Amino acid sequence: MAAVLEPYIYEGGIHRHTLILELLEDLGGYLIQKTPAATEVTLVMLVPRDDVHLIEQLAKDLLGKISKAALTGTEIAVVSPTLASHHLPHSACDIAEFLRRGGANTTMIGLARGMGRRVALSADYERRLINEHDIALFSFGTFQDCIINKKPKLFEGIKIPIVVTGGPDLKTEEIPGADMYIGNIGRVAHRLRHSDELGGLDLMSEKVGIIVEKMREDIARDPLAVLPARVMKEVQEQIPEIESVYTPAPLTLQLDGLRIKLPYPDFHKRVEDMELQDNIRLKDVATISLSKMKNYILVKVKRRSEVGIEI
Amino acid sequence: MEPLEIFKVKTKIPEEAEAYRSILSDVISDLGVANSIGRIYVIITPEDSLFQMAVILRGSPPLIKTSDFADVSVGAVIRNEIQIVLRDEKYLPDLLEKLWAKYGRGKVIQRDRKTIDVVVENIDAEIGSIKEMPIFDPKRTLLSKLVEMAIRGAPEGFRVRYHSLNGNEFIFVASEDAMKPEWVQQGHQMLESIKGG
Repeated sequence: MAAVLEPYIYEGGIHRHTLILELLEDLGGYLIQKTPAATEVTLVMLVPRDDVHLIEQLAKDLLGKISKAALTGTEIAVVSPTLASHHLPHSACDIAEFLRRGGANTTMIGLARGMGRRVALSADYERRLINEHDIALFSFGTFQDCIINKKPKLFEGIKIPIVVTGGPDLKTEEIPGADMYIGNIGRVAHRLRHSDELGGLDLMSEKVGIIVEKMREDIARDPLAVLPARVMKEVQEQIPEIESVYTPAPLTLQLDGLRIKLPYPDFHKRVEDMELQDNIRLKDVATISLSKMKNYILVKVKRRSEVGIEI
Repeated sequence: MEPLEIFKVKTKIPEEAEAYRSILSDVISDLGVANSIGRIYVIITPEDSLFQMAVILRGSPPLIKTSDFADVSVGAVIRNEIQIVLRDEKYLPDLLEKLWAKYGRGKVIQRDRKTIDVVVENIDAEIGSIKEMPIFDPKRTLLSKLVEMAIRGAPEGFRVRYHSLNGNEFIFVASEDAMKPEWVQQGHQMLESIKGG
């Protein structure tokens, strides 16, 4: 097994940030996402645990900021009942923003018919799209009765862990089907910027981090045949076309796989036949399928117990 | 009546009412209707999927005339022109539309951002009529703003709606089930309860 990797975010000036990338490569870490913004750059990366101090030292020399990002390498679906102004942009977008600050990639999903009580429902396509993610976070409203009695029907068919946010202060057990409930983030019509609101969002990010930690432990019991970050690196090296994909996060890591934002019909053969190590191809250790998101490629890595290999 | 002198939101659980009050006040300020609303009373019953709102408006805002936002005077007498100098550009599109309709596009000349010359036959007769010309009726947009406020404020799934504007009194009832006459009745009672004083 390779060294234990820890997720970190570096925020600093774009000047000389390549030194960090070079060091990371030398240490055998992985760069997951690089977001340049004017003169600043944000690097999301996985660093070998024993060498974290080296990166920290370099970041200090470059006057950048380095922080641990528990949600790195996860893709979280932030689900809002609809796309109407009642549910978006406030609260749902702020929730997504805070998850991204924790290192996660988020997908905002507005259901077509998720509004209301009796009439709320989700479509098969929507459920399948949500199931492609690591965690589904449902952003609900103000009323206790709706959250406890009516909205949980939207969870039907969701196989991934479900996090629910809402206004009232409830216990997780009160909401059937939810794995975690986070209160004090209900429906609002303004941007969340008061200190108590921001505190609620920090708490939310922390609690989602706990779920991610649990999922990581589960995976560690029967490890993945290959690290998704490793597959990501192989894609970057073997399929140069990924460089010309302009979506944010062309390679989106998940806890047990990754999404490759290249058209499935043109590229799936090449992805399947990517050689990872001595004649082991990606299709030997992972299922590669057409994603429900556009026509992207979804890679789900199999467990060691299933394939008998660990790279 | 002061703006928003009564602003009551009622639900079974008091914290939920507080949260909804904050949503409604955000919506009211987004739409800029705070000055038009005198009293507002909302009852939300999520168990019955019911949202009821009664509003009393603060007197109807007056019609806006040209002289309210512009100086109208005699321009170049040789060319038979009346000059309109705007103090507030907000109503310019409405004013131009009215002038074009009355005098024709060729006779309405906008010299710059704030100056419009109108060529007329009889300066003395027309100058008065331009001054008194009704340009904008705030009441017309108020109803649509009130309905917009009610729809944005009410929970989204409540798509069966009843609304009525009678003078200064506005009632809005929304639900996701078929409308019951007693709900509308209750709306009228809510209105009665905030009347007077």
